[in-house]
Amino acid sequence: MGSAGFKQQLLLALVLLPITFALWYASAQLLVAPASLVSDWILRFWLSDLVTSSGLSGTTFVVETSLGSMNGAIVPAKTAGNVITFEIDTNLVSYSLPFYTALLWASRVDRQLDKFLFGLVTIWCLMAIGVTAMIAKEMMFAIPDAFASAAGRPSPHIVALSYQFNVLLMPTLSPVALWLYQLRGSPLWDELSRRLDEASNTRFD
Amino acid sequence: MPKFFLTFAASLLILFTLELLKPVQQYLIQPFTGGLASLSTTIIEPFDANVISHGRVIRDSASGFAVSIEAGCNGVEATIVLIAAVLAFPATWRHKLIAIVAGFLAIQALNIARIISLFYLGQWNFSIFEWTHLYLWPVLIMLDVLMVFAIYLRWLTIPNATQRNPEQVENG
Repeated sequence: MGSAGFKQQLLLALVLLPITFALWYASAQLLVAPASLVSDWILRFWLSDLVTSSGLSGTTFVVETSLGSMNGAIVPAKTAGNVITFEIDTNLVSYSLPFYTALLWASRVDRQLDKFLFGLVTIWCLMAIGVTAMIAKEMMFAIPDAFASAAGRPSPHIVALSYQFNVLLMPTLSPVALWLYQLRGSPLWDELSRRLDEASNTRFD
Repeated sequence: MPKFFLTFAASLLILFTLELLKPVQQYLIQPFTGGLASLSTTIIEPFDANVISHGRVIRDSASGFAVSIEAGCNGVEATIVLIAAVLAFPATWRHKLIAIVAGFLAIQALNIARIISLFYLGQWNFSIFEWTHLYLWPVLIMLDVLMVFAIYLRWLTIPNATQRNPEQVENG
């Protein structure tokens, strides 16, 4: 086992990826629905002054605001006679699901279904945060003043870091982290853990 | 294990914050990204004379199709994940440095393959280009990071194993 087993599992995950991606592509709207509900809840709680409604249209998360555009100025939607909406491609964060599924299916772990369900719920929560981070970034650029006052004036750096972390990194990192966490108790985990303990007890000059 | 994960998470956060700093973007990330475009063009040119690059953009002069290498497409995030994992795993600084340099090269080799494949996929079918660009290639790059880290773990333990029990290594 050990890192040779680690490599074998990664190669098996690579083989399984086309299957899990095909399943994800066929059922993407269904798979993203719980995450979109959480995003909707976060937006209504955080940006209640700004967001009037949000929800899924296919795999696109659509947010309607209370604002509109008139002669290049941002004004209330009633005054403008139009509504500024934001559309987010949820696939940009939901592709973590087929990646996680391939990693887990490639592993020999006990209670695989229980672990998969736990992973699914965790990834839904992370997806919801990712969708919210994308909305925050879009709003920061499109309606900066309204967003800053409604969201409690978050620093642009915080929004940028949140986007970077939750959208560019987490969809690929979270499946790996979850998978490693769920390997606990497996022979591969025991071997990796033993090696880490050995390395930790070694003095490096 | 908890120490490994804490060090990993802290390194990740620090490196990502550093990457976002304006001077780092201006003097390191953007020139590096431009270099990736030039290198990709240099690799393609012997097979396709229509390819030109300027800045972060690779263009096909015949069809006019162009790709721009943006943040998230330059392999820097994947490299940061690898560096954080290598820093968190106990080893000598020499081993860590070799792993980071070799891992960086492995990630960038695959990333250049990604850029070139996307350049041609985009000219062939834009839907497939988008799909592979946004969803499939990021996963393959992360698998590459994992594979590099697995090879590093294997490499780290070989000298130790040899010292402990030479026969075990020969038979293993």
